[in-house]
Formats: sequence, structure tokens, C-alpha cells
Amino acid sequence: MSAAPGRTLAVHPLLATALDLERDLGDPRDPGRVFSYRRCADADEREQFPVDVCRELDLLGVPRRYVPQEAGGDLDRYDEALQLLRVIARRDLTVAIGHGKTFLGAACVWVAGTPEQRRRLGEDVARGAVVSWGLTERDHGSDLLAGDVVARRLPDGPDGPDGYRVDGEKWLINNATRGHLVCVLARTGDRPGPRSLDVLLVDKRRLLPGSYLTLPAERLHGIRGADISGIRFTGAVVGPEALIGAPGTGLEVVLETLQLTRVLCAGLSLGAADHGVGLALEHARSLHRFGGRLADLPQTRRLLAQAGADLLLAEAVTLVAGRAVHALPGELAAVSAAVKYLLPTLVQRTLTDLGEVVGARSLLADGTHADGRFQKLLRDHRLVGIFDGSTVVNLHALITQFPFLGPARTRCDAPGLAAAVDLDAPLPPFDPARLALLPRHGCSLLAGLPAAAAGVREAAARGEVPASLAARVTALADRTADLLAQVERVRPSARDHPVEAFEAAQDVARSVAGAAAVQLWLANRHRLGEGPTGALWRDGLWLEAALGRLPARAGGAGAPFSASPDVAVTDRLARVLEEQDAAGYAPSLLPFPTHDALREG
Amino acid sequence: MIMSPPERTVAEGPRAAVTTGVFADLDTPDPLEAAFGDPLDAANPLGFAAFLDADERGDLLPAGERLLDRYGLGAEFVPLALGGRLDRADRLGRALRPLFRRDGALALGHGASNLVGGVNVWVAGDGAQQRRLADVLLGGGRVAAAYTDTETGNDVTGSRFTARRDGDRLLLRGRKEIVNNLGRAEAITLLARTDDAPGSRSHSLLLLDRAGLSRDHVDLLPRYRTAAVRAMYLGGMAFRDCPVPASSVVGGTGTALETMLRAFQLTRSVLPAATIGGMDTQLRTVVRFALDRRLYGRAVADLPHARAVLSDAFVDALVCDSLATVACRALHLHPRLTPLYAAAVKYLVPVLLREAVDEVGVVLGARSFLRSGPEAVFQKHLRDLPVAALVHAGASVCLATMIPQLARISRGWLADGPGEASALFRLDAPLPPLDLPALAIVASGPDVLAAPLWTARERLDGPLRALADEFVAELADLRAAVAGLAPRDRTPLAGPGSFDLAARYAVVLAAGAVLGVWLHTPGQPNAFLRDEGWVVAALTRLAHRIGRGEALSYPREVAVPELLARHDSGHAFDLVGRRLA
Repeated sequence: MSAAPGRTLAVHPLLATALDLERDLGDPRDPGRVFSYRRCADADEREQFPVDVCRELDLLGVPRRYVPQEAGGDLDRYDEALQLLRVIARRDLTVAIGHGKTFLGAACVWVAGTPEQRRRLGEDVARGAVVSWGLTERDHGSDLLAGDVVARRLPDGPDGPDGYRVDGEKWLINNATRGHLVCVLARTGDRPGPRSLDVLLVDKRRLLPGSYLTLPAERLHGIRGADISGIRFTGAVVGPEALIGAPGTGLEVVLETLQLTRVLCAGLSLGAADHGVGLALEHARSLHRFGGRLADLPQTRRLLAQAGADLLLAEAVTLVAGRAVHALPGELAAVSAAVKYLLPTLVQRTLTDLGEVVGARSLLADGTHADGRFQKLLRDHRLVGIFDGSTVVNLHALITQFPFLGPARTRCDAPGLAAAVDLDAPLPPFDPARLALLPRHGCSLLAGLPAAAAGVREAAARGEVPASLAARVTALADRTADLLAQVERVRPSARDHPVEAFEAAQDVARSVAGAAAVQLWLANRHRLGEGPTGALWRDGLWLEAALGRLPARAGGAGAPFSASPDVAVTDRLARVLEEQDAAGYAPSLLPFPTHDALREG
Repeated sequence: MIMSPPERTVAEGPRAAVTTGVFADLDTPDPLEAAFGDPLDAANPLGFAAFLDADERGDLLPAGERLLDRYGLGAEFVPLALGGRLDRADRLGRALRPLFRRDGALALGHGASNLVGGVNVWVAGDGAQQRRLADVLLGGGRVAAAYTDTETGNDVTGSRFTARRDGDRLLLRGRKEIVNNLGRAEAITLLARTDDAPGSRSHSLLLLDRAGLSRDHVDLLPRYRTAAVRAMYLGGMAFRDCPVPASSVVGGTGTALETMLRAFQLTRSVLPAATIGGMDTQLRTVVRFALDRRLYGRAVADLPHARAVLSDAFVDALVCDSLATVACRALHLHPRLTPLYAAAVKYLVPVLLREAVDEVGVVLGARSFLRSGPEAVFQKHLRDLPVAALVHAGASVCLATMIPQLARISRGWLADGPGEASALFRLDAPLPPLDLPALAIVASGPDVLAAPLWTARERLDGPLRALADEFVAELADLRAAVAGLAPRDRTPLAGPGSFDLAARYAVVLAAGAVLGVWLHTPGQPNAFLRDEGWVVAALTRLAHRIGRGEALSYPREVAVPELLARHDSGHAFDLVGRRLA
């Protein structure tokens, strides 16, 4: 561990740059800071884009972190990038989505662009250019194959291909108006079907006036200041260099890039969970009920601990997913769909449950209480489950992967799996060429679960973890084995999946999360068991609490996360998190000092 | 197949015309609903578009307030004997649904707060107090309910707002904050500590006349703003030894807690019943969207996943209506049991409605997030309706109320006893007058709401029998668990395990309500509701919620045809199914 300044506070290496950003941004409770809760609340109230905050992030060099090193930027590890996005998201989702969108918008070029295209865009982004991603259309939503925006190839000129003429409208596009560039999915061929789609990186600054129009920003339920607008092209001409990827591969490029961006969205939900838990804790510690602190009432403690368990589960999944980008790129289709379904759903439920702790105050806006942060958070976070692939779209994606997930097709990539879950293992650079539309050899996280369950049983036999944890993990492994054998036999049709298939997909996603958590714990428990967050790791406490939040059965009636871990487990978790906080660390699996601790130090 | 109990008749062909009572006039909207008019008509000054506009401005729609004045909504909250229309709790719950269908701010600002504010006076006020309050409400005025302190919230025993005796006056000191309509309402009912001794006889309720408060001793605090129900007026007042007549005390000094424990049984049963209207609008919005919207070459309404989600939501609405309506009827018929039933309703119905709305919101996709467009009302209700759950007794408070009452009632579970309480469940049966002072404070007696699960079991077969068996097993387990609770775990300081028991019991009550309503309403004109399909779906979902009946399933689209038919013909998605505007 490296030491943070001041008192001897440690920070996990993965979180070192995140901590730097936190320190540079300062305490968000301080209204004098640019990126403060106050400023964000004001901007939200006035439905204005948080320009000042974004500029602050620009000045701190954050855009460079959206650009891969080979394109001239600072982005090296996606798991670190996730933690950066988390820092921003835990202060304000409008900013995270508005500023972080450039990362998502440019991603097509990182995945499929030529070195020259990457370099050029990289420079642009590092200088502050905003990139947006034009995928959806008013009448077709996320049915990308049905898109109406066309890009007709212009006849070749004397020097070769002359480019494209773009016509049509993209709608509900983040930063369509603010953006300088937009990556557009358009129909370039005449025949219906995926081979006729291409991605074009359109530089609005180079378009002739009148050849495009940005549409008014939509008024939104949450992230009210965000620029969710649209763009209409009428005869907009772009050069041949605008084409990203080989001709006719547009849909593939988009689907593979979505795998990457869906993993990155985990940072948004994780940050939101951090924020919500922090708010509820603050509230519960300051209020008095029945002769004591609200936070000490057994039922409140339990609600807070359950939210803490959700947070740690989300964090575990995010840690593994970020590493999987590097270590298991060929399986990212499965991991990303699971993550993009699960985390927004989980965290939205967590926030709703926390509303019960915060009570009527959760409804208040402006300065009356904590700058109305809680109600804003609830409204803002809802969007994360909707854009860049809604929960339904991601479940659909998992269904199409069913044939590959069972024992017949699965071949566990043991070295990749080990690298994905061991936080100290080296990671290869991200290789977009290894991305695949379908995980042809299954999902190694799932494949590794039986062995992992055996590992936990052995630990229990040695008295290192409670028998109850071993039982939970074994039950998860058994359920998963049955599930995979079952889904392997499903023949997904082109579109009309029965609801049972969607519920099975939910179960698959939960198994992926559980498998990630178990293997993360096994691979890191000795090392992290000795650090400032050791009490969470040593006897599998966080794992038992987190797994308790994954129910035993599929969707159907009631909340997918209405399960509760043992009362004894949540009680212990509550105590450990309190002690961790008293020692100056955030509720996290990895040591990360709080602002209060940094200030005292 | 169920073997029909002798008294049930199944009407064949077109339903027999019902001319009076609950099932009368199903094809004409109720008067308040009719007065609001077609919500989708852009030209309607009381349509969704008008309310959305007002909401964008953070205002209540003036036309909406005028309508409620003309309609005389205040009379709904005044007992019949005092010149109002409040006679049946179940009817009141349904009567308020048009409000919740149309606009959360109006519903909460004019509906909920007047109900909550007035009910203590109907329980315990003297003749003069009741007359005064009745006159305010009948005249279109409002009453603000200032019960909680922001510092101590629902821990009313910790209240720091005091009323000290000074001759024939009381001096009020303290702050009341975040109270609906406080500062604008003509009347205020207020909770104050009148004795320093700890315990439950130290608080009193007061009925105050706003105009009579001394300006030198009261400061109006700035309005609190909310993001949800933006137009709701949340005010505050700071009292600095403000003198009020001693005759302001309602029901005798020190009787506040007792009075509130009775009064809130009415509000906790009626309000959830009313909020089903809001969910109706949201479900209807998504159905309309799903029928129009084409994706992947089909209408969304043709996609199996969407159909299942819509069906489940309709079934859950029927579960909520069953539980809330029966609990309202219990106030009249079984006042010794309602301390438990009312808390169960107020806990469970908001949870079920919210989850159903979240699920159908997924079908709506991005449009669940837009403040403009034909589906904009969805996100407005999404934002507003949780307020009803939080502002008056959240989940934990309700469960905490139930916990100490479980031991006693559990002893009667699964026992042979008096026959099934068919009047309780029969939606169109008459009710004796509501006697609020007769409501018990602690529940006792045979658990008539859960009873059908074990008394009707023998008459059921197939999936219904299997489901009843699951709930019987649950009751047996609950009884054993309750018996094993330590004394401390039967109080508000109870461990979380107790809260879980109470929550599970609430689910069992819902199952009892569904089964009871189905078995005992032979006059139900709607064929879908007479059939057992929805009951199987409802009970299976409830069983799954408590981790039982994993092997049981139900046809996932069972409610779709009825849902679409009611959407087409414009009838409500509830047990009565009256025509909407």
C-alpha cells in the first residue's frame, strides 16, 4: 500500500489516481469548491449544464484519461478508469454522464479506429473536445438494425473515395448539442441487415452550416442539466476518413464497443451507491430517536448494513469487470450484459431502500437538507438503467448467449480468469481485436465457480470462515450449474423470447455477480486481510453479506433483491463498517481515506 | 377446479344489471372522475397536460383547486352526522382515487392532508370542536396535521414541542416543520407535550384556529421545497409561548397517543387504497405506449416479456385493492383487529405498487424519463406517489406498530372458530356505521382476514389448494417464531428479525384478502375476477415474495386480455372496474 499524506492512512494502488482526483477536487461538502454538492444542486435546480464543473475536470486533465496511451492519452487500465468515473459519479451523476460521455462517445474509435484515427481523436479529446454517440432514433429506440439515418457513399472523386452524405435524425443523444464530434451509426448499404451499417465519426465543426441541426434538449426526470438532445442531418458531407472500422462492420463495432461502455457504466452506479450510503449514514448518525441515534436502532442498522452489503457487492463486481476488459476480452459480451443489467437495478433498489432511512427528508430540495441531494440522486440514477442498453436489452443479449454458457461449449480460460480476479496480477493491455460478439467459449467466471466453491469449503474446514458462508457459496455453485445446464438447451429465437428466458437471464447475471465476488475474495483475502479493510475480508464477512443480497430464485414476484443476509452477518458488517469509518476509511473493500480523514491528517 | 360453495352464483352471458351499491353504474365515471374529464384531451383544462404545466411551474393547478371546491371535496372528510359524506372507509378509498389518478399534488395537498388532519378530531373531539372543524372543511377550507417534529420524526414520544398550562390558556413553544399546508390551512391539529414525565400520557392533541393565533408569538417559516410533488405546500411555524385557549385540547390532556393510534387506522387503510389510482394511470400509460410502439417488427404489447410485466402489474394492483379494501371494511366490522390490519396495509401496499411501477417503467424505457410527450405523466407520478408513502408513516414505523401485536393474534391462527367472515370480504355488502372511538389500540381476537387461508382450504383444489397450504405452513412457522421472540424484540427497539416477521405476516394478510374477496363476492359482475386465474397468479406471487412455493407457477399473461379490454373500454384496473373519464 502507498501511504496517503497526513496520518498514516493507506490507499490501495488501484485507487491512487482516484484519491489524487478526490484531493484535487476537494471536499464536496465545501460550497467554496467548484465541484461541490451545492453547485451541482444549483445547476440541477436551474436545469443548466454544469459547465464550470466540467471545465474544472478538464483543467485537472481528466479528459486525457479517456484517451488510450497508444492514442496519446493517459488511459492504460480500464479498472482504474472505472474508479475515476466513480469519483465523479459519487459527487454528481449529471457531471459524470455529461463529462464522462466523451469516454463513451470516443470508444468506437478506440475499439475499431485506425492508429491515425485514434491519434487524431485522442489529441482532440485531450484538448477538451466533447464526443457524443449517436445510436438511437425516435421511432426505433434501441432496435439499432431498424435505424433510418443513412450515409450514402459519394461517388469516388479523382483522388479516391469522397466520403458520405448523411441524412436523418438521431434522438435522445447525450451531448448531441454540446458535442463537437458525434459517432453516428448509419445505414450505408441498400440491403436490409447488419452488413449495411457503418459508424462514422462526424466532426460537427467541419460540417457546412445548414447541413445539420441540433434538436432541443429534452426535459428530463433526472440529470436535469444534462444535454440529452438530438441531431438532424440534411445532406451533411463527411470525408472517407470518417468511416470507423471496415465497411459494413458498423453494427459489430457498436456492439463490441457497447461491451466496453456497459462495463464503464458500472462506475456510475457504484458512485451513486457510495453517495447514497454516505448520505443515509450522515442522516442516521445525526438524528435521535427513542433515546439514541437513529443509526443505532436495530432495524436502521440493518437497513444501513444491507445497503453497505449492496455497495460492496457492486464494488466487487466492478473490480472484476474492469479487470476482465483486459484479461477476458473475448467474454466481455457476457460480463458486460450481466453488469449492465444487474448494477443499475441493484443500486436503484438500494437507493429506494435507503430512502426509508432518510425518511421524509429524502423528498426535500435545496438547502433545507443536504442540498436536496438524496432526491436528486434517486432521480438521476434511474437513467443509468435506461441508456446505453436498458435492462431489457441486456437481458436479451444474455439470452442470445445461452448456448455458449453451458458445460458443452464452455472452456475456462484459467490464466485469464486468474488475472481477472487477482488484484495484484499483471494485466495485459486491452486488445480490442479480441472482443467478440458472442462468448464462444462461455464465461470463465461461471466456469470457475465450482472450484471456487471447493476452495471456500476448504477454508471453512480449516476454520477460516464460517460454515454458513461455505453453505451459501455451495448453494450458489449448485444453482448455477443447474441453471447453465438448463439455459444451454434453450434455442434462442430471433425475437420472441418467453418471459422465462428473461428470468433465466436475470439468474445468469446474478450468478456472474456471485461468481465474481467469490473468486475475488478467494484470490485476495490473504493480502487484503492484513490491511485497513482486513476485517471485511478475513473471515469472508463481506462475501457472506454480499451473497445474502442475491436471492435464491429468479425474478418473478417481488424485488429481485429482497433477500437478506443473516441478521448476525449484517450486524457484524454494520460494526466493521463503523470501525472502518472511525479509522478514516470509506466503506469499501479497498483502503480509501475519507475526506474527513484527509482533512485531519 | 374449485368446487363452488353453495352461495356463489356464476352469471352467464351479459352481466346482470346492478342498480345500487358498489357494482352499480360501472359504465359511468364517478362524479369526481367525470368532473376532471378526459385526461388525454390536450384541450381539457384539467387534463394531464395542464397538470404537467402547473407542475413545471411548481404550482398547484388553479383549475384543479376550483374543481375540488365546486365538488365539495372537503365533505368527503367530514362524518355524515356532521353534514359530510364520510360514512364508509372503503367507499372513501375509492372516492379519492380520481385525485390520485390525476395529480399527486392535488391528491396530497387537498386529500391526504385533510383526512390526516381531521381524523383525530372525529375520534376524540367534543361537539364544539367537531362542529368547528366540519364547518372549515365543508366550507372548502383545509386543516394541517402538525404531529411530528423534524428532530424526532415519527418518534412522537420524543417530541420537544410543548404546551404549558397558564391559567385558562396553554402556551405553545417549539417548531413544526415540513407540514403540508401549515401556514395556509384555516385549522391546525397539532401534537404537543403537555407533561414532562416520560411515558404515553404526556402528550395532547390540540385543534387550533389559524386566524386566532397571535402574530406576536408565531413566525411563519419559509416554505420547504420538494423535488417531488413540487406544488405541495410544505410549511413551518415557530411558536414562542403562543397562547391558545385550554379548550383547544382534543379528547383530554394526555390522551394524544391513544387518539392517534385509533385515528391513524383510518388513514393508513384509506390512503393506500386511494393511491392505487396513481398506479392505474401509470399502468394505463404504459399499456397505451406498448400498443402503439413497434420494436423488432412487433408492437411492444405483443412481446412476451412486456406482456408478462403488464399482467403481473395488474395482478399486483388487484392484490393491493383486495388488501386495502378489506382493511377499510374491517374498520366497520372488526374494530378490534384493525390496529394490526391498518399497519399491514400501510406497509405493504406502497411496496407492491412501487415495485409494479418500476417494472412497467422498464417497458416504457426512455420515455419513463421524459417530462414531455404523451407519457410524461408517468415520471411525474413516479416522482410524486412515494411521497404518500413517506409523509405519513413509512414502512419501518408500520412494521414497528405490528410487532408488539403479533404474539396475541398468532395464538388464534389455524384454529377452528367462527365461520368465515363473509361480510368482511363481500365488496358489495352493506356496512354498519364507522365508530372511530370504538377502534381498539391493540389487536385481539380471531384473525378473520387471514382465516380464509385455513378455513376455506378444504374447498379448494389444484393450484389454489397448494397455495393455501403454503400460507398455512407460513402461519405455523410465524407463530413459532413469534413465540420465540425475546420481550425486547416486541418493541420499537426490536431486532430486525421481528421486522421480518411482521413483513411476512403482512404478505399473508394480503393472501387472505385476495382469497376472501374471491370466495365471498358472488355479485362480482366481471368474469375475469370471478375466475380463479388472477387469484392463482396473485397468491403465487405473494408466496414467492416470502420465499415459498418455488415450484409453483402461473400463466404469465393471465391478466393481459382483461387489461387490454379495460384499456380499450376505459375502465379502472381495480376490483370494481368503473369507467374512467
